[in-house]
Amino acid sequence: MSINRKQQIRISFRVLQTVMVLGWLILLGRLVQLQIIDYDKYAPISQQNSVRQEYINPSRGLIYDRNGTIMVENEPIYSISITPASFDMSRIGLLARLLQVDRQQLVERIHQAQEYSWHRSSRLFTEVSFQVFSNIQENLWRLPGIHHQIESKRHYPLPLRASHTFGYLREATMEEYEQSESIRLGDRIGKSGIEMIYEEYLRGEPGIGYSRVNALGQTLGQFVDHDLTVSPVQGSDIITNMDADLQILAEQIMNGKKGSLVAMDPGTGEILSIVSSPQFDVERLAGRLDLSYWVELNQNRDDPLYNRAISSRQPPGSTFKPFMGLIGLHLGLITPETEIYNPGAYYRGRAYGDLADPGNYNLERALTRSSNTYFFHMMDRIASSGLLNEWSRLAKDFGMGERNYIDLPFESAGIMPDSTYMNNTFGENQWGVGDLMSLGVGQGMVSVSPLQMAVATSAIANGGYRVQPHIVRAIRDIDGNVSYTEPNRTRIDWLQEVDLETVQKGMRGVVTDGSGRWYANLQDIEVAGKTGTAQNPHGENHGWFIAYAPYDDPRIAVAVLIENGGFGSISAAPVASLLIEQHLTGTISRTHVLNYVLDFTYDDEEEEVESVDTVPEENSVSIPVVPEPEQLTPDDEMLNETDPNENF
Amino acid sequence: MNSFREIDWPLLLIWGALSSFGLVAIYSATQGPVSHFLPDYIQQNFFRQTIWVAVSLIIIALIQFIPPRTFQGLAYPFYLLTVLMMIITVFFGVEVSGSQSWLRIGALNLQTAEIMKLATILAAANYLTSQRNVSAQNFRTAFTTLLFFIVPVGLLLMQNEAGIAVIFLALLPFMLFWAGLPHAITLFMISPAIIAYLSIISLAWGITASLLIGLTIFLLQKRSILAIASVVIGLLCVAGTEILLHQVLQPHQASRIEAFVNPDLDPRGSGWNIIQATTAIGSGGISGKGFLEGTQTQLRFLPEQWTDFIFCVIGEEFGFIGASLILLFFLFLFLRLLHLGYQHQHPFAQLFMVAVASVFFIHFVINIGSSTAVMPVIGLPLPFISYGGSAFLTNSILIGICLNLDLYKRSLSIYH
Repeated sequence: MSINRKQQIRISFRVLQTVMVLGWLILLGRLVQLQIIDYDKYAPISQQNSVRQEYINPSRGLIYDRNGTIMVENEPIYSISITPASFDMSRIGLLARLLQVDRQQLVERIHQAQEYSWHRSSRLFTEVSFQVFSNIQENLWRLPGIHHQIESKRHYPLPLRASHTFGYLREATMEEYEQSESIRLGDRIGKSGIEMIYEEYLRGEPGIGYSRVNALGQTLGQFVDHDLTVSPVQGSDIITNMDADLQILAEQIMNGKKGSLVAMDPGTGEILSIVSSPQFDVERLAGRLDLSYWVELNQNRDDPLYNRAISSRQPPGSTFKPFMGLIGLHLGLITPETEIYNPGAYYRGRAYGDLADPGNYNLERALTRSSNTYFFHMMDRIASSGLLNEWSRLAKDFGMGERNYIDLPFESAGIMPDSTYMNNTFGENQWGVGDLMSLGVGQGMVSVSPLQMAVATSAIANGGYRVQPHIVRAIRDIDGNVSYTEPNRTRIDWLQEVDLETVQKGMRGVVTDGSGRWYANLQDIEVAGKTGTAQNPHGENHGWFIAYAPYDDPRIAVAVLIENGGFGSISAAPVASLLIEQHLTGTISRTHVLNYVLDFTYDDEEEEVESVDTVPEENSVSIPVVPEPEQLTPDDEMLNETDPNENF
Repeated sequence: MNSFREIDWPLLLIWGALSSFGLVAIYSATQGPVSHFLPDYIQQNFFRQTIWVAVSLIIIALIQFIPPRTFQGLAYPFYLLTVLMMIITVFFGVEVSGSQSWLRIGALNLQTAEIMKLATILAAANYLTSQRNVSAQNFRTAFTTLLFFIVPVGLLLMQNEAGIAVIFLALLPFMLFWAGLPHAITLFMISPAIIAYLSIISLAWGITASLLIGLTIFLLQKRSILAIASVVIGLLCVAGTEILLHQVLQPHQASRIEAFVNPDLDPRGSGWNIIQATTAIGSGGISGKGFLEGTQTQLRFLPEQWTDFIFCVIGEEFGFIGASLILLFFLFLFLRLLHLGYQHQHPFAQLFMVAVASVFFIHFVINIGSSTAVMPVIGLPLPFISYGGSAFLTNSILIGICLNLDLYKRSLSIYH
């Protein structure tokens, strides 16, 4: 071997050595880059890759009545969802077969999902049967992009709905999702009732779980890492003040009627029962959105979604009289002994009718007989001496014409007119005494909700306390810690015990001797109450009844409004008395009254006669008073149509 | 026969170390906690590989009893026999995942391409060193040598085995270089590959590389015609690559080649393997996720993780520590073989050992380069680590012959 060749070999050896070491160094450098420098980039990718994060929905808190009976619970539903981008459209036939749906319908659903997002999962079908769910589960490996979940929906085990009170759930909107940290897209949240007000307690906190999947998307089991896994926190249970038995009865009674009622504990403001009728079936809104039902609800002229118990605004009619009396006593317009003569009508520019027998009336008798004159007289003096604003303020102290902050959404304030209101309505100084007179008997501009009347009635029953009405008594978290709601309870400071006693006696008289005696006078329970009829220019008048019992130690106060029910004494009073009987005795002994109430209809002309006939005593039938024609002004004309022919 | 103490134990040990590491990785890739999702025949890979390791060890031992001249003497007949086997494979071979490169002999499926590797090295080394003068300086000799490579490459392309064909094409310049081909010519030979590679990454790099290589060739050879030819061919390569990627190939084919530059362009398609592979390696970090704990591996995010992507298994489960250890073993393997060859007095033995070192180096660069997204994915096994009986056996025989040639280096030299 030549020296030349030897040297050449040495050079070649060095060159090859260098090439190999250089090549090796490049790969080592790449390894350093991937594993040391970029580790933070790749570690999370591999984590997401192999471990699929999934939210575990917490079970929503249950809703109980005051005795521990479950009124709202959860039941599982099965749903199938799709991520359109991963779905293989050639599998559509298989999927349709497994889902047992029409191919065309499935194609439409998938198109909808695609419109929402190609990369996010959308629910394809919810509430599928367990059989379909299992079929999908078994064939999941053939259906990329298809997922299955077990979710839950609300279930109402008792024959009561309390739809307006419980409220329904609906998927959170984009705005709600953006505003809240804890709401995920697609989450269903309370949209009305206590589901809405107590959403944050009921919802709980979603857990985060991980399952291992392989590259084919097959789930290989749970991935347990205690640092990462977050157990879901079950939503807190809500314990309401409601009495399930009372609610069942109340809903049964109100079924087929238009109106609402509120029964509460006058001492505390605890709502025992609250019904708005017609109501919707909250169970039908619990699961998959039943579009036809939803449209039907929204198109119904009686607006079943509207919570009449707290949102309706109707004149209180004669049920306002006890409060009018208390205001008059406080303002010094009358004393409990003051007697006013009723000649059959009150004259102030025109005749304001009074159907009570002519004669002298003190406050107690005026309440018992529901004489209008006594109250027109007081209102006349209030209006004439510029006390309207004072009157309005005092009336609002009872909770009428302002919000009471019940724990339900969409509570209306109602109207208790003052000078500002009158100016806004009629124009500056364009109104006078004549526009205010009817306020004295709860007609005209004044409007209240049954809830407000129940709160006001409670004030009379409990010795002058304004209570805050509340549905929920306590919230019990998953650990069993119970926190009680703390409703307000304040003494209405201007109310005098003596004055209250007079009014209470008057209301007791309504039930024993007055318009309440037919249906509201219970044998073993002393009931006090007041009937009322709200003028309705658009149809049959609305019947009111407010009551509380037992007289000496009130445990229930009730306000009932039967729309188009005519006189309160025959429409609302029996309803209220049944609620009182049920709550205080636990049963209904007067089945004839119950049957009467269940059959009660007062919607059109023919039945009007019929129901008037059912009134046991003939002198209770009212005779409309024709106002004197020469007194009419344009404003009066409007008032006239709504003017009292009111006696009960 | 020489004493066994004279066997190059470091080389044998490195063979043992790599084989063991390979078994661990194959075990993890096919016997992991959720391996029941794998097909049965893949689950058996670990056991088959264990048998292959044992058989290979015996064969390495047996090779030590063969007179060293035999290799030279049988080089041509063996080459012809293997070419014949490959022709048979083309027509009667068993098709495995798209490649008709397996010959069924009894219960064995032999990958003839692997045996061809051995045969070609033997034949080319024999041819180049049997010439009277230092051979490759003579261009006719160089072209004849090319024929030894062209035949298997052609047959491999007919078998749809472009990956292994790359090995042959890459090995040729290494052998010619050692055999005395001028450096400038060698550079000229390999320049198209370098330029094409850089052109895929970026047009500017490709052009820069053409010019630099032209300049280097001019400095080495002082022949302006060759330098200019090199630049022209280099630029044609750049243009060719561009046209190929953007005009000739369908977008999905082009993206398969380009994917290593930017895998995110097609993360579900051609970028998938690259993303999963780099993720596996990158997420291993310094110390790795632990044996059988690699999520990418165990959950089958890696394709062909027991063969072409086995390095990802090591990178993920044993981290930088394990992966760089493998790298070190390989570096030691090349340098040891290179060193043994350099020390050897016999030209055939020299060239054979250098060729073996080169083959392992090419396998190493392509396999780990593919796994770490330094280059387009070319499906080639990692010697001694990847599952595959034929490859393991062939590679072991290469080591065995090197050991033999080293063991008999004095007796060989006498005859020279």
